[in-house]
Amino acid sequence: MSQIRFQASGLKVHQAADVIDSQITLDADVVIVGSGAGGAVSAYELARQGKRVVVLEAGPYVPSQAFTEDFTQSLHDLYQDQGGQANSSGDLLVLQGACVGGSTVVNGCVCFRTPDFILQDWQRDFGLSELTEAELAPYFDEVEKNLSVHDNGEHEIARHGQVIREGAKKLGWSVKPLRRNIRQCGLTGHCLSGCKTERKQSMLVTYLPWAQAYGASIYSDTRVEKVLTENGEASGVEAVITRHDGTVAASMTVKAPRVILAAGAVQTPVLLLKSGLANRSGQVGRNFACHPSLLVAARYPQPIHPWRGALLGVHVDEFMHPDKGGFVLEDGGFGLVEMTMLAEPGTGKPFMDYMADARYLSGLVTLIHDHNVGTIEWDGERKAINYQLSNADFPSMQRAIKAAARLHLASGASEVYVPASDKRVIRSEADIDDQVDSLENAPQHLRMVSYHPQGTCRMGADPDASVVKANGETHDVPGLYVADASLLPTSIIVNPQITVYALATRIARHMS
Amino acid sequence: MAMNSQYQAGRIQRVWQQGMARRQFLKWGLGGVAAVTAVAAGGFALLRRSPRDDMPAPEWATGLSAAEYHLFERARVVLLPVEGTNLVDSATVPVVQNVQTTLSFLDPVTRKELGAGLSLFDNVVVFSHGCRFVDLEAGPARELFDRWGEGSVLQRTLTTVIKQLVYSGYWQEPATWPPTEFDGPVSDKWGLPYLGNAPLPQDSPVASQQEQA
Repeated sequence: MSQIRFQASGLKVHQAADVIDSQITLDADVVIVGSGAGGAVSAYELARQGKRVVVLEAGPYVPSQAFTEDFTQSLHDLYQDQGGQANSSGDLLVLQGACVGGSTVVNGCVCFRTPDFILQDWQRDFGLSELTEAELAPYFDEVEKNLSVHDNGEHEIARHGQVIREGAKKLGWSVKPLRRNIRQCGLTGHCLSGCKTERKQSMLVTYLPWAQAYGASIYSDTRVEKVLTENGEASGVEAVITRHDGTVAASMTVKAPRVILAAGAVQTPVLLLKSGLANRSGQVGRNFACHPSLLVAARYPQPIHPWRGALLGVHVDEFMHPDKGGFVLEDGGFGLVEMTMLAEPGTGKPFMDYMADARYLSGLVTLIHDHNVGTIEWDGERKAINYQLSNADFPSMQRAIKAAARLHLASGASEVYVPASDKRVIRSEADIDDQVDSLENAPQHLRMVSYHPQGTCRMGADPDASVVKANGETHDVPGLYVADASLLPTSIIVNPQITVYALATRIARHMS
Repeated sequence: MAMNSQYQAGRIQRVWQQGMARRQFLKWGLGGVAAVTAVAAGGFALLRRSPRDDMPAPEWATGLSAAEYHLFERARVVLLPVEGTNLVDSATVPVVQNVQTTLSFLDPVTRKELGAGLSLFDNVVVFSHGCRFVDLEAGPARELFDRWGEGSVLQRTLTTVIKQLVYSGYWQEPATWPPTEFDGPVSDKWGLPYLGNAPLPQDSPVASQQEQA
């Protein structure tokens, strides 16, 4: 049993500021790269089995008390590339957490199980016959219980969710409360800046302290540069510990016969490409999907104050199945800085008038089931996220925008702003087709954001067409595992955090 | 030198016009901007000088070139008019300082490409307006932003980047929030108690032995 006491708050993290030696060498049973959804769950599951576990996180350790609830500051402190991670064309912001706890610290708490029709696709197209709804259900049950996942109560549906729900009911569309991993929500609306009072059940306050209670060690500021092998099997990693001023504090080697990559769907393939491993199939870094999202804002006659109350309240699942459109709509709160990114009401006075009336705005997030057309590349100096919305997916995006506009109008909105680079305002049903059909699938035209990168180390039965097996182990390198959203063979339409938790739990248990 | 300037101008215009073809820009982001500006290097300043060229940037602007400082300062005035609203005058808010801070987070390669793009934006307006962006009157400057928002990929990229930097530089300041009723950070204001770490799962053998650190 661990000699470390369970902490009531915060974590004991080895940080760059603590480093004295210039070379650190550790021995472990398992070294885990990344401390987000996959890494933290794996760490807990393996540590409680008595394994010596070391977790390496490239980002800093920011305790909850240090969260500012200032979105701009949070982008700098908690997000990958200070919030500036984008695709090669610069028109798709790929937001990922880069801190201890990873994206679970900065997400909107939304929890969907993997839709069964997605699992059926995986069984049929990727030979993942084990991954049935029945097989995964116990894992979902367990992580949902551990993370206090529940349907939003009425008090957790903010004004922006209430108006959307009313509109959906008028249209006869299926609308449901979102399920979220949160305890006693403080209704601050600042989820994307980290939950300051530790109500969001992120990895920072759940699986990481639990893993630590069983003896897992956590190192922040520690970027893994290479996965090591001996005789073709995983044998550890090499890493660099960097101070917050950018200077190198130390080099680190962790020797371990099991390596779990859980750095996220952008960083995990980069690490494999840097290491030259597990790419017999040529699929490492390929098949990138990301649920390119739009936040469609609308102006209402009455104040909404979209920054007040729980960030996300309800969702419309009427169109979730690909046969019905392949998209989901979620009501979404936002603050002033985010609001500037949503709409193009015109330059100068029109824009300032739009912002002066900010309290009358409400938003809808569109998530589409995109195809896996992107790639992550490493050129020896920089990563590249090559992704453009495919022509096959563009109609889905248009359908999602139209549905969002229709829903806003039914909810009582007077103006709907299409999130494009040019001014497009919808004031009635008659405007919808004109304003949306004339959109082009061209770079820098739609203002897209991705919170859900996936697919770059695809899971499958065929070693010539996939990177990892159903148990998370790479086909090519025994002892080398992937346990993050990289392994999802297709995009899953819905927020993927619970899927990653469940798969990581399963992978860790199969390892033992 | 004059011939060189004319030659440069011709090359710039040709490249710029090529850039209007959508297919040329399908994969162009800021890297594409850099390519155009590489062709134009050294030529822009000879096309049209500005009175602002002789004005130094303030001492705090160590992360911006003087030309970048003047561009963002002009963009602040153009993009953030407050007449007819109860919003806070952008001159009282450190907009350009905040832009500088954001740019400091860019990796060196991207920062260099962005610098090239900003130079392009400032200078290429000479072809359409007879002066650089920093010398444009507010009305034509706003029309330029709106027109470019409907333009080529390169034009949309540049206008989007400049707008987002300036907007963010303004709206991130708490002084701008009260007129909109934006609440800003609230947890401390409301006195919300910290819940701490979640207890170990019930089936955990050590759950019953939890001790506070």
